[in-house]
Amino acid sequence: MPRLLLVEDEEHLAAGIRFNFELDGYEVETIGDGLRAVERLAPAPEGPGWEAGPRIDLVILDVMLPGLDGFQIVERMRQAGNYTPVLMLTAKGLPEDVVQGLEAGADDYLPKPFDLPVLLARVRGLIRRRDWARAPSEGPALVRVGDAEVDFPNFALRKGDEIVPLTLLEAMLLKLLVERRGQVVTKAEILEKVWNLNPHTETRAVDNFVMRLRRHVEKDSRKPLLLQTVRGVGYRLADEPPPSA
Amino acid sequence: MPASQLSRSRRPKWHYVAVGVGLIAVAVALTVAWQILAAPASVGSRAFGPARVVAYFFGSLLFLLLIAGLVLIVILLLREVRLNERQSNFVSAVTHELKTPVASLKLYLDTLEYRELAPDRRAEFYRTMRQDIERLNTTINNVLSAAMYTDRPVAAPRPLDLARLARRAVDLTLNRFQLPREAIRYEGPDTLRVSGDPQALETAVLNLLDNAVKYSRDRLLVEIEVWGDADGQAHLRVRDHGIGMSRTHLPFIFTRFYRIGAEVRRSRAGTGLGLFIVRSIVKGHRGTITADSPGPDRGSTFTISLPGLLGPEAEGDGAAAHA
Repeated sequence: MPRLLLVEDEEHLAAGIRFNFELDGYEVETIGDGLRAVERLAPAPEGPGWEAGPRIDLVILDVMLPGLDGFQIVERMRQAGNYTPVLMLTAKGLPEDVVQGLEAGADDYLPKPFDLPVLLARVRGLIRRRDWARAPSEGPALVRVGDAEVDFPNFALRKGDEIVPLTLLEAMLLKLLVERRGQVVTKAEILEKVWNLNPHTETRAVDNFVMRLRRHVEKDSRKPLLLQTVRGVGYRLADEPPPSA
Repeated sequence: MPASQLSRSRRPKWHYVAVGVGLIAVAVALTVAWQILAAPASVGSRAFGPARVVAYFFGSLLFLLLIAGLVLIVILLLREVRLNERQSNFVSAVTHELKTPVASLKLYLDTLEYRELAPDRRAEFYRTMRQDIERLNTTINNVLSAAMYTDRPVAAPRPLDLARLARRAVDLTLNRFQLPREAIRYEGPDTLRVSGDPQALETAVLNLLDNAVKYSRDRLLVEIEVWGDADGQAHLRVRDHGIGMSRTHLPFIFTRFYRIGAEVRRSRAGTGLGLFIVRSIVKGHRGTITADSPGPDRGSTFTISLPGLLGPEAEGDGAAAHA
Protein backbone atom coordinates (compact mmCIF):
# COMPACT_ATOMS: atom_id res chain seq x y z
CA MET A 1 0.00 0.00 0.00
CA PRO A 2 1.65 3.30 -1.02
CA ARG A 3 2.15 5.72 1.85
CA LEU A 4 1.73 9.46 1.35
CA LEU A 5 2.87 12.27 3.56
CA LEU A 6 0.52 15.24 3.27
CA VAL A 7 1.98 18.54 4.49
CA GLU A 8 -0.95 20.97 4.58
CA ASP A 9 -1.97 23.40 7.31
CA GLU A 10 -5.48 24.15 6.04
CA GLU A 11 -7.62 21.66 7.96
CA HIS A 12 -10.42 21.40 5.42
CA LEU A 13 -8.09 20.71 2.52
CA ALA A 14 -6.02 18.26 4.53
CA ALA A 15 -9.11 16.34 5.63
CA GLY A 16 -10.58 16.27 2.10
CA ILE A 17 -7.36 15.14 0.45
CA ARG A 18 -6.75 12.54 3.10
CA PHE A 19 -10.29 11.19 2.79
CA ASN A 20 -9.93 10.71 -0.97
CA PHE A 21 -6.54 9.04 -0.93
CA GLU A 22 -7.55 6.71 1.89
CA LEU A 23 -10.58 5.73 -0.13
CA ASP A 24 -8.21 4.85 -2.99
CA GLY A 25 -6.19 2.59 -0.73
CA TYR A 26 -3.29 4.84 0.25
CA GLU A 27 -1.97 5.22 3.74
CA VAL A 28 -1.89 8.92 4.56
CA GLU A 29 0.18 10.68 7.20
CA THR A 30 -0.63 14.38 7.77
CA ILE A 31 1.58 17.16 9.09
CA GLY A 32 0.31 20.72 9.52
CA ASP A 33 3.43 22.81 9.88
CA GLY A 34 6.71 23.37 8.12
CA LEU A 35 9.11 22.72 10.98
CA ARG A 36 7.56 19.37 11.84
CA ALA A 37 7.61 18.42 8.17
CA VAL A 38 11.34 19.10 8.02
CA GLU A 39 11.88 17.05 11.18
CA ARG A 40 10.18 14.17 9.45
CA LEU A 41 11.69 14.62 5.97
CA ALA A 42 15.10 16.15 6.54
CA PRO A 43 16.07 15.79 10.20
CA ALA A 44 19.38 16.99 11.60
CA PRO A 45 22.26 14.65 10.69
CA GLU A 46 23.01 13.65 14.29
CA GLY A 47 19.50 12.26 14.94
CA PRO A 48 17.94 9.21 13.33
CA GLY A 49 17.78 9.68 9.54
CA TRP A 50 14.57 10.34 7.66
CA GLU A 51 14.55 6.65 6.79
CA ALA A 52 13.87 5.91 10.48
CA GLY A 53 10.10 6.49 10.28
CA PRO A 54 7.74 4.46 8.11
CA ARG A 55 8.82 4.63 4.45
CA ILE A 56 7.08 7.40 2.50
CA ASP A 57 6.41 6.92 -1.21
CA LEU A 58 5.38 10.43 -2.04
CA VAL A 59 5.06 13.83 -0.38
CA ILE A 60 2.20 16.23 -1.16
CA LEU A 61 3.53 19.59 -0.04
CA ASP A 62 1.74 22.90 0.39
CA VAL A 63 3.83 26.07 -0.15
CA MET A 64 2.38 28.46 2.43
CA LEU A 65 2.99 26.79 5.76
CA PRO A 66 3.60 28.02 9.27
CA GLY A 67 7.23 27.80 10.35
CA LEU A 68 8.92 26.97 7.07
CA ASP A 69 7.63 27.26 3.51
CA GLY A 70 7.34 24.43 1.02
CA PHE A 71 10.24 25.61 -1.16
CA GLN A 72 12.58 25.53 1.82
CA ILE A 73 11.30 22.12 2.89
CA VAL A 74 11.95 20.51 -0.48
CA GLU A 75 15.40 22.12 -0.65
CA ARG A 76 16.28 20.81 2.80
CA MET A 77 14.99 17.36 1.86
CA ARG A 78 17.24 17.19 -1.19
CA GLN A 79 20.22 18.49 0.79
CA ALA A 80 19.62 15.80 3.39
CA GLY A 81 19.66 13.18 0.64
CA ASN A 82 15.93 12.52 0.73
CA TYR A 83 14.86 12.06 -2.90
CA THR A 84 11.27 10.96 -2.26
CA PRO A 85 9.05 12.36 -5.07
CA VAL A 86 7.37 15.62 -4.10
CA LEU A 87 4.14 17.05 -5.51
CA MET A 88 3.72 20.71 -4.59
CA LEU A 89 0.25 22.20 -4.08
CA THR A 90 -0.13 25.91 -3.86
CA ALA A 91 -2.44 28.87 -4.26
CA LYS A 92 0.19 30.54 -6.42
CA GLY A 93 -0.17 29.22 -9.93
CA LEU A 94 1.86 31.66 -12.04
CA PRO A 95 4.37 30.03 -14.39
CA GLU A 96 7.28 31.47 -12.41
CA ASP A 97 5.86 29.92 -9.23
CA VAL A 98 5.68 26.56 -10.96
CA VAL A 99 9.25 26.93 -12.16
CA GLN A 100 10.43 28.06 -8.72
CA GLY A 101 8.88 24.96 -7.17
CA LEU A 102 10.40 22.63 -9.71
CA GLU A 103 13.79 24.26 -9.44
CA ALA A 104 13.68 24.01 -5.66
CA GLY A 105 13.50 20.26 -6.20
CA ALA A 106 9.82 19.37 -6.47
CA ASP A 107 8.88 16.72 -9.03
CA ASP A 108 5.45 18.00 -9.91
CA TYR A 109 3.32 21.03 -9.19
CA LEU A 110 -0.43 21.56 -9.00
CA PRO A 111 -2.00 24.99 -8.48
CA LYS A 112 -5.02 25.39 -6.18
CA PRO A 113 -7.87 25.05 -6.82
CA PHE A 114 -7.31 21.69 -8.47
CA ASP A 115 -9.58 19.01 -9.88
CA LEU A 116 -9.78 15.98 -7.64
CA PRO A 117 -9.33 13.46 -10.50
CA VAL A 118 -6.26 15.43 -11.65
CA LEU A 119 -4.71 15.30 -8.18
CA LEU A 120 -5.33 11.57 -7.91
CA ALA A 121 -3.93 11.02 -11.41
CA ARG A 122 -0.84 13.15 -10.77
CA VAL A 123 -0.02 11.14 -7.66
CA ARG A 124 -0.53 7.84 -9.47
CA GLY A 125 1.59 9.26 -12.31
CA LEU A 126 4.44 10.28 -10.04
CA ILE A 127 4.53 6.88 -8.39
CA ARG A 128 4.42 5.25 -11.83
CA ARG A 129 7.16 7.55 -13.16
CA ARG A 130 9.28 6.69 -10.16
CA ASP A 131 8.83 3.01 -10.91
CA TRP A 132 9.60 3.64 -14.59
CA ALA A 133 12.75 5.63 -13.80
CA ARG A 134 13.77 2.90 -11.37
CA ALA A 135 13.28 0.01 -13.76
CA PRO A 136 16.22 -0.90 -15.98
CA SER A 137 15.22 -0.05 -19.56
CA GLU A 138 16.73 -2.99 -21.34
CA GLY A 139 19.80 -4.92 -20.43
CA PRO A 140 21.66 -4.32 -17.21
CA ALA A 141 20.40 -2.21 -14.34
CA LEU A 142 23.60 -0.19 -14.39
CA VAL A 143 24.04 2.00 -17.45
CA ARG A 144 27.42 3.44 -18.25
CA VAL A 145 27.60 7.14 -19.08
CA GLY A 146 31.22 8.27 -19.45
CA ASP A 147 33.09 7.46 -16.28
CA ALA A 148 29.93 7.12 -14.27
CA GLU A 149 27.41 4.35 -13.94
CA VAL A 150 23.74 5.15 -13.52
CA ASP A 151 21.95 2.96 -11.03
CA PHE A 152 18.33 3.64 -12.01
CA PRO A 153 16.72 1.31 -9.44
CA ASN A 154 18.43 3.21 -6.63
CA PHE A 155 18.25 6.70 -8.16
CA ALA A 156 22.00 7.08 -7.97
CA LEU A 157 25.01 7.78 -10.08
CA ARG A 158 28.13 5.83 -9.17
CA LYS A 159 31.51 7.28 -9.99
CA GLY A 160 34.27 5.13 -8.53
CA ASP A 161 33.49 5.08 -4.81
CA GLU A 162 31.38 8.19 -4.97
CA ILE A 163 27.59 7.83 -5.02
CA VAL A 164 25.60 10.82 -6.22
CA PRO A 165 21.87 10.60 -5.45
CA LEU A 166 19.50 11.64 -8.24
CA THR A 167 16.08 13.23 -7.95
CA LEU A 168 13.19 11.64 -9.78
CA LEU A 169 13.39 14.33 -12.46
CA GLU A 170 17.16 13.92 -12.90
CA ALA A 171 16.78 10.17 -13.20
CA MET A 172 13.96 10.62 -15.71
CA LEU A 173 15.94 13.11 -17.77
CA LEU A 174 18.93 10.80 -17.83
CA LYS A 175 16.78 7.84 -18.65
CA LEU A 176 15.17 9.67 -21.57
CA LEU A 177 18.60 10.59 -22.93
CA VAL A 178 19.97 7.08 -22.39
CA GLU A 179 17.01 5.47 -24.13
CA ARG A 180 17.50 7.78 -27.12
CA ARG A 181 21.27 7.64 -27.07
CA GLY A 182 22.84 9.24 -30.12
CA GLN A 183 19.68 11.13 -31.03
CA VAL A 184 18.72 14.70 -30.27
CA VAL A 185 15.98 15.07 -27.67
CA THR A 186 14.30 18.48 -27.94
CA LYS A 187 13.90 20.73 -24.95
CA ALA A 188 10.15 20.83 -25.56
CA GLU A 189 9.97 17.05 -25.36
CA ILE A 190 12.02 17.02 -22.18
CA LEU A 191 9.75 19.64 -20.59
CA GLU A 192 6.69 17.67 -21.56
CA LYS A 193 7.86 14.17 -20.68
CA VAL A 194 10.03 14.78 -17.66
CA TRP A 195 8.64 17.96 -16.14
CA ASN A 196 5.07 17.47 -17.21
CA LEU A 197 5.06 21.12 -18.30
CA ASN A 198 3.75 22.90 -21.34
CA PRO A 199 6.58 22.56 -23.94
CA HIS A 200 6.61 26.33 -24.44
CA THR A 201 7.38 27.10 -20.79
CA GLU A 202 10.21 29.59 -20.41
CA THR A 203 12.59 28.01 -17.95
CA ARG A 204 16.24 27.29 -17.46
CA ALA A 205 15.36 24.21 -15.42
CA VAL A 206 16.40 21.73 -18.11
CA ASP A 207 19.71 23.51 -18.73
CA ASN A 208 20.41 23.60 -15.00
CA PHE A 209 19.71 19.91 -14.63
CA VAL A 210 21.95 19.09 -17.59
CA MET A 211 24.68 21.26 -16.10
CA ARG A 212 24.47 19.38 -12.82
CA LEU A 213 24.56 16.02 -14.56
CA ARG A 214 27.56 17.15 -16.62
CA ARG A 215 29.52 17.87 -13.48
CA HIS A 216 29.20 14.20 -12.60
CA VAL A 217 29.71 12.51 -15.95
CA GLU A 218 31.99 14.78 -17.96
CA LYS A 219 35.75 15.06 -17.59
CA ASP A 220 35.44 18.82 -18.17
CA SER A 221 31.90 20.03 -17.65
CA ARG A 222 32.58 23.22 -19.63
CA LYS A 223 33.57 21.21 -22.68
CA PRO A 224 30.95 18.48 -22.63
CA LEU A 225 31.65 15.50 -24.84
CA LEU A 226 28.87 13.23 -23.63
CA LEU A 227 25.89 15.40 -22.76
CA GLN A 228 26.00 17.61 -25.82
CA THR A 229 23.98 20.76 -26.36
CA VAL A 230 22.41 20.95 -29.79
CA ARG A 231 21.97 24.72 -30.01
CA GLY A 232 18.43 25.90 -30.32
CA VAL A 233 17.10 22.34 -30.34
CA GLY A 234 17.93 20.34 -27.26
CA TYR A 235 20.36 17.78 -25.95
CA ARG A 236 21.98 14.58 -27.10
CA LEU A 237 23.79 11.90 -25.21
CA ALA A 238 26.79 10.92 -27.38
CA ASP A 239 27.01 7.28 -28.48
CA GLU A 240 30.30 6.83 -26.76
CA PRO A 241 33.12 9.16 -25.90
CA PRO A 242 34.95 10.32 -29.05
CA PRO A 243 38.43 8.78 -29.37
CA SER A 244 40.12 12.08 -28.63
CA ALA A 245 38.62 12.21 -25.15
CA MET B 1 20.60 29.92 -9.71
CA PRO B 2 17.39 30.78 -11.53
CA ALA B 3 15.32 30.13 -8.43
CA SER B 4 17.14 32.89 -6.62
CA GLN B 5 16.90 35.11 -9.72
CA LEU B 6 13.16 34.71 -9.70
CA SER B 7 12.83 35.46 -6.04
CA ARG B 8 15.20 38.40 -6.42
CA SER B 9 12.96 39.98 -9.03
CA ARG B 10 10.09 39.93 -6.52
CA ARG B 11 12.07 41.32 -3.66
CA PRO B 12 11.57 45.00 -2.90
CA LYS B 13 14.03 47.33 -4.54
CA TRP B 14 16.28 47.87 -1.56
CA HIS B 15 19.26 48.43 -3.81
CA TYR B 16 17.75 51.72 -5.03
CA VAL B 17 17.72 52.86 -1.45
CA ALA B 18 21.37 51.79 -1.18
CA VAL B 19 22.20 53.91 -4.26
CA GLY B 20 20.45 56.88 -2.63
CA VAL B 21 22.42 56.46 0.58
CA GLY B 22 25.62 56.17 -1.48
CA LEU B 23 24.77 59.42 -3.29
CA ILE B 24 24.22 61.17 0.04
CA ALA B 25 27.65 59.98 1.17
CA VAL B 26 29.22 61.34 -2.05
CA ALA B 27 27.42 64.68 -1.63
CA VAL B 28 28.64 64.95 1.97
CA ALA B 29 32.20 64.15 0.88
CA LEU B 30 32.00 66.79 -1.87
CA THR B 31 30.67 69.33 0.61
CA VAL B 32 33.54 68.68 2.97
CA ALA B 33 36.01 68.97 0.06
CA TRP B 34 34.34 72.24 -0.98
CA GLN B 35 34.68 73.57 2.54
CA ILE B 36 38.38 72.76 2.57
CA LEU B 37 39.12 74.09 -0.92
CA ALA B 38 36.93 77.15 -1.06
CA ALA B 39 36.86 78.36 2.53
CA PRO B 40 38.77 81.60 3.18
CA ALA B 41 42.14 80.89 4.74
CA SER B 42 41.18 82.95 7.72
CA VAL B 43 37.90 84.62 8.43
CA GLY B 44 37.90 88.20 7.17
CA SER B 45 41.09 87.69 5.20
CA ARG B 46 41.74 90.58 2.85
CA ALA B 47 43.04 88.34 0.09
CA PHE B 48 39.50 87.01 -0.14
CA GLY B 49 37.49 89.26 -2.43
CA PRO B 50 33.73 89.81 -1.92
CA ALA B 51 32.94 87.81 -5.10
CA ARG B 52 34.70 84.81 -3.64
CA VAL B 53 32.88 85.16 -0.35
CA VAL B 54 29.54 85.25 -2.18
CA ALA B 55 30.55 82.22 -4.27
CA TYR B 56 31.60 80.38 -1.13
CA PHE B 57 28.36 81.21 0.64
CA PHE B 58 26.09 80.21 -2.24
CA GLY B 59 28.19 77.17 -3.03
CA SER B 60 27.85 75.94 0.55
CA LEU B 61 24.13 76.62 0.47
CA LEU B 62 23.80 74.72 -2.79
CA PHE B 63 25.61 71.74 -1.34
CA LEU B 64 23.41 71.73 1.73
CA LEU B 65 20.29 71.94 -0.43
CA LEU B 66 21.60 69.08 -2.52
CA ILE B 67 22.12 66.92 0.56
CA ALA B 68 18.72 67.86 1.98
CA GLY B 69 17.08 67.04 -1.35
CA LEU B 70 18.81 63.70 -1.57
CA VAL B 71 17.83 62.81 2.00
CA LEU B 72 14.23 63.71 1.23
CA ILE B 73 14.22 61.57 -1.91
CA VAL B 74 15.72 58.60 -0.07
CA ILE B 75 13.12 58.90 2.71
CA LEU B 76 10.30 58.99 0.15
CA LEU B 77 11.84 56.07 -1.69
CA LEU B 78 12.08 54.10 1.53
CA ARG B 79 8.39 54.70 2.17
CA GLU B 80 7.50 53.57 -1.33
CA VAL B 81 9.61 50.46 -0.96
CA ARG B 82 7.91 49.58 2.32
CA LEU B 83 4.45 50.19 0.88
CA ASN B 84 5.37 48.11 -2.15
CA GLU B 85 6.48 45.29 0.11
CA ARG B 86 3.27 45.44 2.12
CA GLN B 87 1.21 45.54 -1.04
CA SER B 88 2.86 42.47 -2.46
CA ASN B 89 2.29 40.76 0.89
CA PHE B 90 -1.35 41.80 0.65
CA VAL B 91 -1.72 40.33 -2.83
CA SER B 92 -0.15 37.15 -1.54
CA ALA B 93 -2.44 37.08 1.50
CA VAL B 94 -5.60 37.78 -0.49
CA THR B 95 -4.62 35.18 -3.08
CA HIS B 96 -4.27 32.68 -0.27
CA GLU B 97 -7.43 33.81 1.52
CA LEU B 98 -9.52 33.57 -1.64
CA LYS B 99 -8.01 30.49 -3.20
CA THR B 100 -7.85 28.29 -0.12
CA PRO B 101 -11.60 28.19 0.53
CA VAL B 102 -12.29 27.94 -3.20
CA ALA B 103 -9.87 25.00 -3.45
CA SER B 104 -11.54 23.39 -0.45
CA LEU B 105 -15.05 23.94 -1.88
CA LYS B 106 -13.99 22.46 -5.19
CA LEU B 107 -12.37 19.48 -3.52
CA TYR B 108 -15.52 18.70 -1.50
CA LEU B 109 -17.78 19.25 -4.50
CA ASP B 110 -15.60 16.90 -6.56
CA THR B 111 -15.68 14.37 -3.74
CA LEU B 112 -19.48 14.59 -3.53
CA GLU B 113 -19.68 14.15 -7.28
CA TYR B 114 -17.23 11.28 -7.72
CA ARG B 115 -17.66 9.24 -4.54
CA GLU B 116 -20.48 7.23 -3.05
CA LEU B 117 -20.92 8.70 0.40
CA ALA B 118 -22.88 7.81 3.50
CA PRO B 119 -25.48 10.44 4.51
CA ASP B 120 -23.64 11.48 7.69
CA ARG B 121 -20.45 11.95 5.69
CA ARG B 122 -22.32 14.11 3.20
CA ALA B 123 -23.73 16.22 6.03
CA GLU B 124 -20.20 16.68 7.41
CA PHE B 125 -18.96 17.80 3.99
CA TYR B 126 -21.82 20.29 3.65
CA ARG B 127 -20.86 21.77 7.01
CA THR B 128 -17.26 22.12 5.90
CA MET B 129 -18.34 23.79 2.68
CA ARG B 130 -20.57 26.22 4.51
CA GLN B 131 -17.61 27.27 6.68
CA ASP B 132 -15.52 27.79 3.55
CA ILE B 133 -18.18 30.05 2.09
CA GLU B 134 -18.27 31.95 5.37
CA ARG B 135 -14.50 32.45 5.16
CA LEU B 136 -14.72 33.67 1.56
CA ASN B 137 -17.48 36.06 2.52
CA THR B 138 -15.39 37.50 5.35
CA THR B 139 -12.46 38.16 3.04
CA ILE B 140 -14.68 39.79 0.44
CA ASN B 141 -16.36 41.96 3.10
CA ASN B 142 -12.99 43.01 4.46
CA VAL B 143 -11.72 44.09 1.07
CA LEU B 144 -14.97 45.98 0.42
CA SER B 145 -14.98 47.59 3.88
CA ALA B 146 -11.39 48.76 3.41
CA ALA B 147 -12.50 50.61 0.30
CA MET B 148 -15.75 51.85 1.84
CA TYR B 149 -14.70 53.16 5.26
CA THR B 150 -12.33 56.04 4.95
CA ASP B 151 -11.16 58.40 7.65
CA ARG B 152 -13.81 60.89 6.53
CA PRO B 153 -16.41 61.74 9.20
CA VAL B 154 -19.51 59.56 9.24
CA ALA B 155 -22.05 61.12 6.87
CA ALA B 156 -25.19 60.71 8.96
CA PRO B 157 -24.50 59.73 12.56
CA ARG B 158 -27.52 58.50 14.49
CA PRO B 159 -28.15 57.35 18.03
CA LEU B 160 -27.27 53.75 18.66
CA ASP B 161 -26.85 51.43 21.61
CA LEU B 162 -23.17 50.48 21.82
CA ALA B 163 -23.82 47.92 24.59
CA ARG B 164 -26.41 46.10 22.51
CA LEU B 165 -24.20 46.34 19.44
CA ALA B 166 -21.31 44.76 21.39
CA ARG B 167 -23.53 41.91 22.69
CA ARG B 168 -24.80 41.25 19.18
CA ALA B 169 -21.21 41.13 17.88
CA VAL B 170 -20.40 38.62 20.63
CA ASP B 171 -23.33 36.40 19.56
CA LEU B 172 -22.33 36.59 15.90
CA THR B 173 -18.73 35.70 16.71
CA LEU B 174 -19.69 32.82 19.01
CA ASN B 175 -21.92 31.50 16.28
CA ARG B 176 -19.38 31.97 13.52
CA PHE B 177 -16.59 30.11 15.30
CA GLN B 178 -18.98 27.65 16.99
CA LEU B 179 -17.72 28.64 20.43
CA PRO B 180 -19.18 27.97 23.88
CA ARG B 181 -20.93 30.92 25.54
CA GLU B 182 -18.20 31.39 28.16
CA ALA B 183 -15.47 31.92 25.53
CA ILE B 184 -16.42 35.60 25.16
CA ARG B 185 -17.44 37.48 28.27
CA TYR B 186 -19.38 40.75 28.08
CA GLU B 187 -19.12 43.30 30.82
CA GLY B 188 -20.94 46.61 30.87
CA PRO B 189 -24.27 48.36 31.17
CA ASP B 190 -27.45 47.18 29.49
CA THR B 191 -27.47 50.22 27.25
CA LEU B 192 -24.90 52.81 26.36
CA ARG B 193 -26.07 55.27 23.78
CA VAL B 194 -23.70 56.98 21.41
CA SER B 195 -24.03 58.70 18.10
CA GLY B 196 -22.52 57.01 15.07
CA ASP B 197 -22.89 54.65 12.14
CA PRO B 198 -24.20 51.34 13.58
CA GLN B 199 -23.18 49.19 10.64
CA ALA B 200 -19.63 50.57 10.57
CA LEU B 201 -19.22 50.21 14.33
CA GLU B 202 -20.49 46.65 14.23
CA THR B 203 -17.90 45.87 11.55
CA ALA B 204 -15.21 47.38 13.78
CA VAL B 205 -16.24 45.39 16.86
CA LEU B 206 -16.59 42.18 14.84
CA ASN B 207 -13.10 42.66 13.44
CA LEU B 208 -11.65 43.11 16.93
CA LEU B 209 -13.46 40.01 18.22
CA ASP B 210 -12.43 38.07 15.14
CA ASN B 211 -8.77 38.90 15.78
CA ALA B 212 -9.08 38.09 19.48
CA VAL B 213 -10.42 34.60 18.65
CA LYS B 214 -8.00 34.04 15.76
CA TYR B 215 -4.93 34.97 17.76
CA SER B 216 -5.87 33.04 20.89
CA ARG B 217 -4.01 29.83 21.26
CA ASP B 218 -5.15 27.16 23.71
CA ARG B 219 -6.67 29.58 26.14
CA LEU B 220 -9.70 31.00 24.39
CA LEU B 221 -11.07 33.63 26.71
CA VAL B 222 -12.01 37.02 25.32
CA GLU B 223 -13.36 39.87 27.41
CA ILE B 224 -15.30 42.74 25.95
CA GLU B 225 -16.07 45.69 28.12
CA VAL B 226 -18.19 48.77 27.41
CA TRP B 227 -18.45 51.89 29.55
CA GLY B 228 -19.06 55.61 29.41
CA ASP B 229 -17.11 58.28 31.22
CA ALA B 230 -17.81 61.71 32.68
CA ASP B 231 -16.13 63.45 29.71
CA GLY B 232 -18.87 62.28 27.38
CA GLN B 233 -16.81 59.51 25.84
CA ALA B 234 -17.86 55.92 25.26
CA HIS B 235 -15.24 53.20 25.48
CA LEU B 236 -15.10 49.64 24.24
CA ARG B 237 -12.28 47.32 25.16
CA VAL B 238 -11.52 43.86 23.77
CA ARG B 239 -8.96 41.81 25.62
CA ASP B 240 -7.66 38.36 24.77
CA HIS B 241 -5.16 35.98 26.35
CA GLY B 242 -3.65 34.90 23.06
CA ILE B 243 -0.35 35.18 21.28
CA GLY B 244 0.05 38.94 21.81
CA MET B 245 2.91 40.67 20.06
CA SER B 246 6.22 42.32 20.74
CA ARG B 247 6.24 46.06 21.32
CA THR B 248 8.07 46.70 18.05
CA HIS B 249 4.96 45.76 16.06
CA LEU B 250 2.50 47.91 18.02
CA PRO B 251 3.06 51.17 16.11
CA PHE B 252 2.40 49.48 12.76
CA ILE B 253 -0.54 47.14 13.31
CA PHE B 254 -3.15 49.66 12.15
CA THR B 255 -1.33 50.26 8.89
CA ARG B 256 -2.96 48.94 5.76
CA PHE B 257 -1.68 45.50 4.68
CA TYR B 258 0.57 45.22 7.73
CA ARG B 259 1.00 41.66 8.96
CA ILE B 260 3.54 40.24 11.35
CA GLY B 261 6.00 37.82 9.79
CA ALA B 262 6.64 36.58 6.25
CA GLU B 263 3.56 35.85 4.14
CA VAL B 264 4.75 32.49 2.89
CA ARG B 265 5.17 31.14 6.43
CA ARG B 266 1.86 32.49 7.63
CA SER B 267 0.14 30.42 10.26
CA ARG B 268 -3.09 32.41 10.53
CA ALA B 269 -5.58 33.45 7.94
CA GLY B 270 -5.95 37.13 7.21
CA THR B 271 -5.36 39.93 4.75
CA GLY B 272 -3.76 42.67 6.85
CA LEU B 273 -6.88 44.79 6.49
CA GLY B 274 -8.86 44.06 9.68
CA LEU B 275 -7.28 46.55 12.05
CA PHE B 276 -6.84 49.11 9.29
CA ILE B 277 -10.61 48.99 8.77
CA VAL B 278 -11.23 49.33 12.52
CA ARG B 279 -8.99 52.37 12.69
CA SER B 280 -10.65 53.97 9.64
CA ILE B 281 -14.09 53.49 11.16
CA VAL B 282 -13.01 54.85 14.54
CA LYS B 283 -11.36 57.86 12.90
CA GLY B 284 -14.55 58.45 10.92
CA HIS B 285 -16.27 58.75 14.33
CA ARG B 286 -13.54 61.15 15.51
CA GLY B 287 -12.59 58.55 18.05
CA THR B 288 -9.29 56.93 18.95
CA ILE B 289 -8.09 53.36 19.10
CA THR B 290 -5.17 52.05 21.08
CA ALA B 291 -3.50 48.67 21.18
CA ASP B 292 -1.44 47.19 23.92
CA SER B 293 0.31 43.93 24.55
CA PRO B 294 2.71 43.07 27.37
CA GLY B 295 4.60 40.88 24.88
CA PRO B 296 4.42 37.66 22.86
CA ASP B 297 2.13 35.02 24.36
CA ARG B 298 0.71 37.49 26.85
CA GLY B 299 -2.45 38.61 25.09
CA SER B 300 -3.52 41.87 23.49
CA THR B 301 -5.91 44.64 24.43
CA PHE B 302 -7.63 47.02 22.02
CA THR B 303 -9.54 50.03 23.26
CA ILE B 304 -11.85 52.18 21.18
CA SER B 305 -12.89 55.56 22.55
CA LEU B 306 -15.73 57.46 20.90
CA PRO B 307 -16.96 60.98 21.58
CA GLY B 308 -20.66 61.64 21.36
CA LEU B 309 -21.92 59.73 24.37
CA LEU B 310 -25.66 60.40 24.61
CA GLY B 311 -27.75 60.63 27.74
CA PRO B 312 -30.02 57.66 28.47
CA GLU B 313 -33.11 59.46 27.27
CA ALA B 314 -32.05 61.87 24.57
CA GLU B 315 -34.78 63.70 22.81
CA GLY B 316 -36.04 62.47 19.49
CA ASP B 317 -34.24 59.18 20.02
CA GLY B 318 -37.06 56.91 19.07
CA ALA B 319 -37.69 58.67 15.81
CA ALA B 320 -34.02 58.72 14.88
CA ALA B 321 -33.42 55.10 15.84
CA HIS B 322 -36.16 53.94 13.55
CA ALA B 323 -35.20 56.27 10.75
